[in-house]
Amino acid sequence: MSSIPASAFLALALILFCIGLYGALSKRNTVIVLISIELMLNAVNINLVTFSKYGIKPSITGQIFALFAITVAAAEAAVGLAILIALYRNRKTVNIDEMDTMKH
Amino acid sequence: MSLSSVLSILVFSPLLGVTVLAFMKNTQEKAIKIVGLLATLPALLLALACYFHYQAGKDLGDFSVKANWINFVGDKKYFHVAYELGLNGLSLIMVVLTAIIATLAAVASMHIKKEWKGYFMLFLLLETGMLGVFTSLNLILFFIFFEVTLVPMFFLIGKWGYFEKEKAAFSFLIYNGLGSAILLIVIMVLFAKTGTSNIHDLQQIVNAAKSPLSGSVKMGLLIALLIAFGVKLPIFPLHSWMLRVHVQAPPSIVMIHSGILLKIGAFGLIRFAMGIFPEQFKDVAGVLAFLGVINLLYGAFLAFIQKDFKMVLAYSSISHMGIVLIGIGALNATGIQGAIFQVVSHGLISALLFFLVGVFYERTDTSLIENLGGLAKGMPLAAGFLLAGAMASLGLPGMSGFVSEFMAFLGLFKDMPVLAAVGTIGIIMTAAYLLRAVLGMTFGQAHREFAGTMDLKGAEFVPVLTLMFLIVLIGVYPSVLSSPLKTALETIMLGLGG
Amino acid sequence: MMETAWIIPLFPLLSFLILLLFGRRLKEASAFVGILLTLASLVYSILVLFERFTAPTYKSEAAWLNIGDLHLTAGFEVNQLNALMLVIVSLVSCLVHTYSKGYMHGDERIPVFYAYLGLFTFAMQGLVLSPNLLQTYIFWELVGVGSFLLIGFYFYKEEAKAAAKKAFIMTRIGDVGLLIGMILLFWQTNSFEYDEIFKAVREGAISQGWITLTALLIFVGAVGKSGQFPLHTWLPDAMEGPTPVSALIHAATMVAAGVYLVAALFPLFAASKTALLTIAIIGAFTAIFAASIGLVQTDIKRVLAYSTVSQLGYMMLALGSAGYVAGVFHLMTHAFFKALLFLAAGSVIHAVHTQNIEEMGGLWKKLRLTGPLFLIGTLAISGVPLLSGFFSKDEILAAAWEGGHPILFLLAVIAAFFTAFYMFRLFFMVFTGEARSEMKHVHESPGVMTLPMIVLGVLAVISGYVNTPWFGTFLGDWLTKGNDSLGHSHVEGPGWIMIVATLVSLAGIFLAWLIYGKKSLSRDWLSGRGGALHTILYNKYYIDEFYQLTIVSLTKGMSYFLRFIDLFLVEGIVKGVAGFVQGLGKTGSKVQNGQVQTYGAMAFVGLAVLVVIFALTGGYLK
Repeated sequence: MSSIPASAFLALALILFCIGLYGALSKRNTVIVLISIELMLNAVNINLVTFSKYGIKPSITGQIFALFAITVAAAEAAVGLAILIALYRNRKTVNIDEMDTMKH
Repeated sequence: MSLSSVLSILVFSPLLGVTVLAFMKNTQEKAIKIVGLLATLPALLLALACYFHYQAGKDLGDFSVKANWINFVGDKKYFHVAYELGLNGLSLIMVVLTAIIATLAAVASMHIKKEWKGYFMLFLLLETGMLGVFTSLNLILFFIFFEVTLVPMFFLIGKWGYFEKEKAAFSFLIYNGLGSAILLIVIMVLFAKTGTSNIHDLQQIVNAAKSPLSGSVKMGLLIALLIAFGVKLPIFPLHSWMLRVHVQAPPSIVMIHSGILLKIGAFGLIRFAMGIFPEQFKDVAGVLAFLGVINLLYGAFLAFIQKDFKMVLAYSSISHMGIVLIGIGALNATGIQGAIFQVVSHGLISALLFFLVGVFYERTDTSLIENLGGLAKGMPLAAGFLLAGAMASLGLPGMSGFVSEFMAFLGLFKDMPVLAAVGTIGIIMTAAYLLRAVLGMTFGQAHREFAGTMDLKGAEFVPVLTLMFLIVLIGVYPSVLSSPLKTALETIMLGLGG
Repeated sequence: MMETAWIIPLFPLLSFLILLLFGRRLKEASAFVGILLTLASLVYSILVLFERFTAPTYKSEAAWLNIGDLHLTAGFEVNQLNALMLVIVSLVSCLVHTYSKGYMHGDERIPVFYAYLGLFTFAMQGLVLSPNLLQTYIFWELVGVGSFLLIGFYFYKEEAKAAAKKAFIMTRIGDVGLLIGMILLFWQTNSFEYDEIFKAVREGAISQGWITLTALLIFVGAVGKSGQFPLHTWLPDAMEGPTPVSALIHAATMVAAGVYLVAALFPLFAASKTALLTIAIIGAFTAIFAASIGLVQTDIKRVLAYSTVSQLGYMMLALGSAGYVAGVFHLMTHAFFKALLFLAAGSVIHAVHTQNIEEMGGLWKKLRLTGPLFLIGTLAISGVPLLSGFFSKDEILAAAWEGGHPILFLLAVIAAFFTAFYMFRLFFMVFTGEARSEMKHVHESPGVMTLPMIVLGVLAVISGYVNTPWFGTFLGDWLTKGNDSLGHSHVEGPGWIMIVATLVSLAGIFLAWLIYGKKSLSRDWLSGRGGALHTILYNKYYIDEFYQLTIVSLTKGMSYFLRFIDLFLVEGIVKGVAGFVQGLGKTGSKVQNGQVQTYGAMAFVGLAVLVVIFALTGGYLK
């Protein structure tokens, strides 16, 4: 276990984050955008856990922080999906291109 | 009343008029015009009092006032900005000129047709700004007053102007806004590097042996200053805004604009560019003289083919500001004195000509040369004064224009005879375009529809006669200007190294 | 008297100011104001002249303008030349003031007319009293304005408007030459004072090249004012002004100012051979050139105008040949007889209401006074012996011969022949032959007009005797007394010159008589009307058209070219900058499309840029 270097975990997190970012910025379907955001959050969690183990001063704080992040992310996903459903009821679409009310 | 409060009263006295106007109804046309006119008088009287005080041999330093104003702590330095007003020979002349032209422009404002209250409030605010610009001894104070002139001008052009007034107002604001932004950068750099914004202190510190600014920084600042004031003057190719303003603004405002506001550029060049960076200024003087000749000829040639008399005058202003540049660029006492004379002289002459343009427009509803003609028949006095103004403008001896033009060229011929000789073509062209325009308006067959137009009447004589008197006075007895300038000029020449 | 000579110009100035302020109330009485005040200045001038005969030159100056270390002064000087010019100017001005009372009778703008005359007289007297170049230049310009105002007096006439404008601008071209010359001279000698300049020239403080350059530039000023080729075209056009004005300004005084200037600065010119030669050549060429145009003109005033140009050329030729006295002498006699001719022409025009000599004829019997007076003037200008013009012209021819330029001498002789011919052509066409039927009501002018003509007529006859080879050269001796740089008081030319001059002028008169008096020769014997030679001369060698085609169109072209630059280049750059800023704004607002994903992408790009900057700078922004 300890033979895997920290850079491998960080690389995984980076890849995960980039996939998430790409998905969040380019996908048309709002549900997929939400999923991509979850991916990015999880990439951050991996980073937190990695540094709690391999950091200069290893401590349990990072892992606790990751647990909090997961909890918050769950709540956020629930709220996000709720808004999405409300929007879908209003607009009959989940296509993100049509949601440009921020312009007004 | 101690002498040191004179300047503060002088500068802020127009604001008293603004306060009174604020409580008046917009419909009391006559009362508003009278209050507006009266509010310009205290400044005029005080300015003249200062002039005679100085002419009587007393010290202008009596008028200096200094009070602590803004203090703050910067990076390891304490910064003070003081409220400092004061006069020297040059600024005294500018203040007197401002006060006179402002009063006369207030008289000319009787032709304003609407919203008199707002007009006069802005007008008086503008006057305070201009007086402040010429009296402040502190760069930051100077800048504040400088900005104070921009805002009223914007509205005065944009609201009371002619057909394309909005466009003119915007181009005025954008050009001058850019100019003042550059000015602000220069002021801030100077302030941050030297810790002071007092003009005298700056002159000392910047030119001391251990200057906090390197030579190239000084050069950069000087060029920035030249651009900032060059927009105001204006120097070719930064001139297109002022053409629009000249044509679109109401004549009373153009009197102020052309008579004083353009002169802030010249004043700034002499007071700040030349005063604070004398060493570097010597290097760019040749370029300035060259630009001056370009301005002179460019304005003259273009004025030659304009159809609108206001455009002729606008290009003529560009051309005449070229003479200011020529004088400054000559870099000797003769040239600089010529430039200052030209500043005053052009202020008076263009105020006179624009007042007459207003008079003609009032009666005929046009300023196109081809639509006019033969006005000497119906209104001989106005036509006569127009001709006299044109003669003054083209540098007829016995009038102020000659003295300034002559001195500027005399100065330039000393070191740059070839450039100066090219510039003299401008003298011929000035005669050509002014006579073409003025004779086109006043000589020849009269248009039938103008047969019954009225000549000058009543209050209209006040500005015309006052300006004409001053123009001839300076032309015949130039010492009225040169004697107060003596000390200021010596100081400048000392800075330039003799 | 001489100490207070500065009062002399103040009389006409006072007249100008009074008429400007109260003219409307005075109406025709304005004439009296003008006449009385110029009479006062005439009396004063004569007293000063008499005092100057015995007293030395008087000069007085006061500070006018201080510039740093430079102190410019203003003042006045009474030397021989000044005193003489002062009397000539005052006299002619006073006579013209008187004459105008009759000529301008009935014009509602009489006060304006007299005010302008006052302004002009003031400026002209100020000009001749000036002790330095700067002051000379100031009054030099002011006489130009006086001339401009009077040419444009009938402002409602398009021709008058154009003529006034042309006169002002063309003389201004010359004035700029004078200005440049004067300023260059100033930086060479550090003074505008005549005395200082002459001192510097004497002591060799200025190099030869500078003397020549400045002298030629100053001469350009004289060329403009005195209507010399190539700046002569304004003078004939200036005849649009009222005739008394032509007599005063464009014959006797202002146009002679150029000659006066060269005379006043003679020591400077004398120091440069090149400058003198140029003056002589221009003078001689102008003399014959203008005389040839005068041969065919049909407007009585234009003939006289070309004759003036030609005579001024004579004076320049004299000065250029180092004949200082001859030039000044001719300046004086010409002032009298040419003023006489113009006033007589005015009297004719007043009587017949036309200026075309083809429409005149047989006026000798009707104008009993004007006719003989015109004849006196004609004889004087033609150089007929015993009249004033004979002596002065003889001096000039002698000076030209002694100057060592036989070609210039020859030109001058031919010009003398032309002069005699066209002047008598004028005389015969106007006063002899058949009277026109429509001219029945022609009557002699009133006394107020004839009196000045009689005075001038007397002077045209006798003024030559102040400087003759037979009775003594009083004028020459007096003018050059105490000043060696002005050359000899009298040029002793060979005796045959006088005979040649007489023969040539008599030949000219005889030919004119054959063609226009006796009519035994056809008018078309050399070149018929419409013939090539006639057409060229009648159209004044097409000089005006040439200028119109070259200089005027060049200026206009330059103006339009610059307007093109102004509209497209300057305005284009401004528009370009404005467009760029606007474009930037539009792009920016396009990004603000309300879609979260775009915003996110922008934030990401921003982050990336920041990271790159930090990576490159090591984390610190300096």
